[in-house]
Amino acid sequence: MTTEVTQLTVGELATLMKQAAGVTVDPQDLESRADAPFAEFGLDSLGLLGIVGELENRHGRALPTDAERCKSPRAFLDLVNGALATGA
Amino acid sequence: MSDSGIRPRHTAVTGIGVVAPNGLHADTYWKSVKEGASVLDRITREGCEHLPLRVAGEVRGFDPSALIEETFLVQTDKFTHFALAAADAALQDAGLSSTAADSPYSVGVVTAAGSGGGEFGQRELQKLWGKGSRFVGPYQSIAWFYAASTGQISIRKGFKGPCGVVASDEAGGLDAVAHASHAVQRGTDVVVVGAAEAPLAPYSGVCQLGYPELSTVEDPARAYRPFTSAACGFVPAEGGAVLIVEDLERAQRRAATVRATVAGHSATFTGASHWEQSREGLAHAIRGALDEAGCAPEEIDVVFADALGVPEADRAEALALADALGPHGTRVPVTAPKTGIGRSYCGAPLLDIAAAVQAMEHGQIPPTPNVFDVCHDIDLVTATARPAELRTALILSRGLMGSNSALVLRGAPLEGR
Repeated sequence: MTTEVTQLTVGELATLMKQAAGVTVDPQDLESRADAPFAEFGLDSLGLLGIVGELENRHGRALPTDAERCKSPRAFLDLVNGALATGA
Repeated sequence: MSDSGIRPRHTAVTGIGVVAPNGLHADTYWKSVKEGASVLDRITREGCEHLPLRVAGEVRGFDPSALIEETFLVQTDKFTHFALAAADAALQDAGLSSTAADSPYSVGVVTAAGSGGGEFGQRELQKLWGKGSRFVGPYQSIAWFYAASTGQISIRKGFKGPCGVVASDEAGGLDAVAHASHAVQRGTDVVVVGAAEAPLAPYSGVCQLGYPELSTVEDPARAYRPFTSAACGFVPAEGGAVLIVEDLERAQRRAATVRATVAGHSATFTGASHWEQSREGLAHAIRGALDEAGCAPEEIDVVFADALGVPEADRAEALALADALGPHGTRVPVTAPKTGIGRSYCGAPLLDIAAAVQAMEHGQIPPTPNVFDVCHDIDLVTATARPAELRTALILSRGLMGSNSALVLRGAPLEGR
């Protein structure tokens, strides 16, 4: 497995938002407004918690507890990818 | 709020939304009720086939994805889907769809719930025991909860007025309407009030098997026949109704169609399955509701009975009518349309209200499907609808856990008042 495989992309995050919280968001829009609060995309805190749970199950490891408190897509992607890259 | 206390406020019903086994709209529901159609049928839900509960009133053909946004669907149970859809229909009927934008604090939400989101809960608990706690979704924390429908209606529509949930057994459906009416009288302009339930799923079905009052008869035409010597319990159902209640003067000022007014209510408690004692409790509730409505027994033009279908309970209800209404108790027409659709717990009395309002509007007392040969001293309307001038209706409800409630509705005020 390479680090490439374990990185979470904007497109994957958009898919997870749809799957876990029923939020339909265009990946390009998500990328261009990556610093906007999740709430602006219609994602609530429980929705983000569901995404964290899904990622943890998928990768078979815990993410930092701060993951579910991230306010924006960029903050979330940075934290998750940092954690996955270091294997922390 | 400013003018409450200067004049007494009266509560008008200006909107009705229905999701029922016999109709996904208030009009189609009424048409079926008036015809006396029975839609009771064998349970078809996956995982329910082997349960000793055979017959139910299923809501069929309801497509939540066509009515409700996905963000709400993923975090809610079917009982909330019914409530959200019925609330939309009620708001539309009342011509109030966009009111929240003007004054969100003037609109409240009250629902009653008997069992919460059993199907959603089952799905998540299966993940818990089948795969592990990490696979339980976070929305389990809110979807099963009794309060879910009130919360989701208020969030979805932006209603920020007084909100509440009444958990007082099946009769809580009537208590919720009283609660909403009191909120209006205390100064809230509009309250969205109702109840819908979704108890037809495997886990929910199993929970009901412990009720001695549950009918396990296999023939849909014979499974729920209250007030007859063949009474063998009740048939459960899903669905319910939502009403818009608001200050009568406000409704008239905005030229809304006032469909009925909420005149009086009272509730008592006599203990789980103590059906003989429910006679006294129900009679007391009826007297209380009449008192609050300033209504003489003779003014009651029709009674929508609880009609549990358990011989002692049916006898208690018939006797309670005689106790509370005197000689009028054996003369007043009584009906129980729910014998054709089943009892959707807290949703059942709301559906009775939806039928009672339309009965008064159309001057027709709907019949009691599947019931013939009444063995109690009441004038039960059977077979076909009976034309009658109806100005005041009494709606009764009892819960399996012992609550008894009575609600008096008046027809639309004449000449707009």
